[in-house]
Amino acid sequence: MSRNRLLFIITSALFFLLPVLLLVLQSVSETWRFQAGQGFTFQLDSFEVLTSDPNLWSATGWSIAIGAGVLVTNLLIGILTGKALATMDFKGKSFVEAMMLSPILIPVLAIAMGLHLFMIRIGLADTLAGVILIHLVPTVPYSVKIFQNAYRQMGSDLLEQPLILGATPVHQLFTVELPLMKPAIRSVTFLTIVISLSQYAITAIIGGGTVITLPMVFFPFLDTANASIMAAFSIWFAMIPLLLYVIMEAILLLLPYTNIPWRNRT
Amino acid sequence: MKRYGLAWLLLVFFLAACSNDQNTQSLSTVTEMDWSEIEESAADTTVRLFMWGGDEGINQYIDEWAAPRMEEEYDITLERVPMDTVEILQKLQTEKQAGKTDGTIDLIWLNGENFKNAKENELLAGSFVDSLPNFNEYYETEDPAFQTDFGTSVDGMEAPWGKVQFVFLYDSAKMDRPPSSFEELKSWTADHPGKFTYPNADDFTGNAFLRHILYAEADSPASIYDQPLDEENIAGTAEQTWSYLNDIEPNLWRSGEHYPNSLTELDRLYSQGDVWMTMGYNEARAESLIEEGVFPETTRSFVMDPGSIGNTHFLSIPFNSTNYPGALAAINFMLSPEAQLAKLAPNYWGENTPISIDKLPEGMKEEFESIERGESVLSQQELEESFLPESEAAYVDWMKEQWFNEVVQN
Repeated sequence: MSRNRLLFIITSALFFLLPVLLLVLQSVSETWRFQAGQGFTFQLDSFEVLTSDPNLWSATGWSIAIGAGVLVTNLLIGILTGKALATMDFKGKSFVEAMMLSPILIPVLAIAMGLHLFMIRIGLADTLAGVILIHLVPTVPYSVKIFQNAYRQMGSDLLEQPLILGATPVHQLFTVELPLMKPAIRSVTFLTIVISLSQYAITAIIGGGTVITLPMVFFPFLDTANASIMAAFSIWFAMIPLLLYVIMEAILLLLPYTNIPWRNRT
Repeated sequence: MKRYGLAWLLLVFFLAACSNDQNTQSLSTVTEMDWSEIEESAADTTVRLFMWGGDEGINQYIDEWAAPRMEEEYDITLERVPMDTVEILQKLQTEKQAGKTDGTIDLIWLNGENFKNAKENELLAGSFVDSLPNFNEYYETEDPAFQTDFGTSVDGMEAPWGKVQFVFLYDSAKMDRPPSSFEELKSWTADHPGKFTYPNADDFTGNAFLRHILYAEADSPASIYDQPLDEENIAGTAEQTWSYLNDIEPNLWRSGEHYPNSLTELDRLYSQGDVWMTMGYNEARAESLIEEGVFPETTRSFVMDPGSIGNTHFLSIPFNSTNYPGALAAINFMLSPEAQLAKLAPNYWGENTPISIDKLPEGMKEEFESIERGESVLSQQELEESFLPESEAAYVDWMKEQWFNEVVQN
């Protein structure tokens, strides 16, 4: 047991903490030529470049707004569709399941090109709603699959019990289903936000420069040889999923039966 | 069905009428107005400039230098939107297809292949450069560099914003004297195996490097840049080019088994000291990288015989801009001596100007001549003497295909 634990600590330090530490160090150092024996030179220029970009704050705001919108829509669609697919039997169910997965099999860019034309006609191009909608394409298939599995694991017994005890569907959702599906909600949160945050091409096309997200400011800098700026941007970029994850955890605390200090445990 | 048919027809007419209303001013009616009228109607508007955003020097030039001055002098709000040129054109193409006449883009920055595509697909508003006072006053309007762009006739549809020239960079602490010709480069790589490489032909810069060799192997560079691409005519030159490249390949970085995918990769190798030379368009590009500590301070530039290719890049107006007067006023401002002077100074962008220094008033002329572009930049005279024009855009694609077949596969 303790040997496994040690192994876990060593591997996670080696493959997770160390690279992150290197990234942080690079962001506050000038270009680091360690193989040439040149040491670490402390500087904060790369963060100054970062914060001097007038688009940075608004882009971060847009990205958070889009991420939150995409997440909420995903939870709605994922829970409803996932429950239906896991608990109901109907004709053509396997066909519906296959259709649900198709967006990740067809290149998103191809879908975006076609949808752009349609969105211009109905006035959704260059708007926040349009971007959120297009971000659903690469995220919804995963959410549906995750919630479908969560409901399947929960089993029909646990869903029948509240019904017998006379709970309304909404009551049942908040007291039984959501508390039991916390791990699934966490996975969906992380997955959708990270996917939504890293969409460059489809955001650029549908957002059309009116909606400027963080990748649109950040990705062009992939062309720079200045590793410090890249590192600073990467750290900034990583903060958003973390922030939204923390917010989601706080919301999850509001669910019943949660271990929170101010709720008495007897 | 019939009832709906009529309703549909009415709806279509209604929509068509709507879209016509939104953009009644065509560019030609705007350019026919007096310049003062154009400036007047440009006041209190927003101009959205869509451009590649991967260089903080360039971004800061727009955000910190140009935008506040335009606000102050012309009451125009200049908004920079970072987007790759290919995506901008894709967006315009779809909007054209959808019949969207009230676009979000007022200005784009482009040249070469992108201009060719935009012009062929009618994504640009039309001819306007003749109406710009600063262009007429301070620029050599008949200069072939402004008349054609990679072999495509400009027809007044884009205004020259800047010009750059290809240079090689080396670390003077490691090398006493850089090679002065491609033959010398070949013997240098033989003496220093693994210390030189170039980005592959798909990369903008790598492709330009390869075209330099094509120029060098031809009887004279003019036999390439003055001629449209004819594979039979240049077969002999091409053969020599491939044999040159295959000769140096074993002495390249990683024995030529792998080429950097982009200039960025090559720059990083140079920055780490793995290779001793890098290259690139913009003769002053090393300055900001030295300043940031990415390149060693001893970095200097050089050009080789027969010369170095240079090109001009332009500003243009897309077909569905909703603010033609604002776009014209903004371009005119970008072409002004003041804006060009600030662009030339090394603290922001450090890029060369297409302006004719001879046409400037005395005081301005001195200011242009007194600018120190930095130690890594060659003198204006040396750059002008080695200048070679760009060949037709078709050579770029030809080089991409052939290089892979002749060099990588051999």
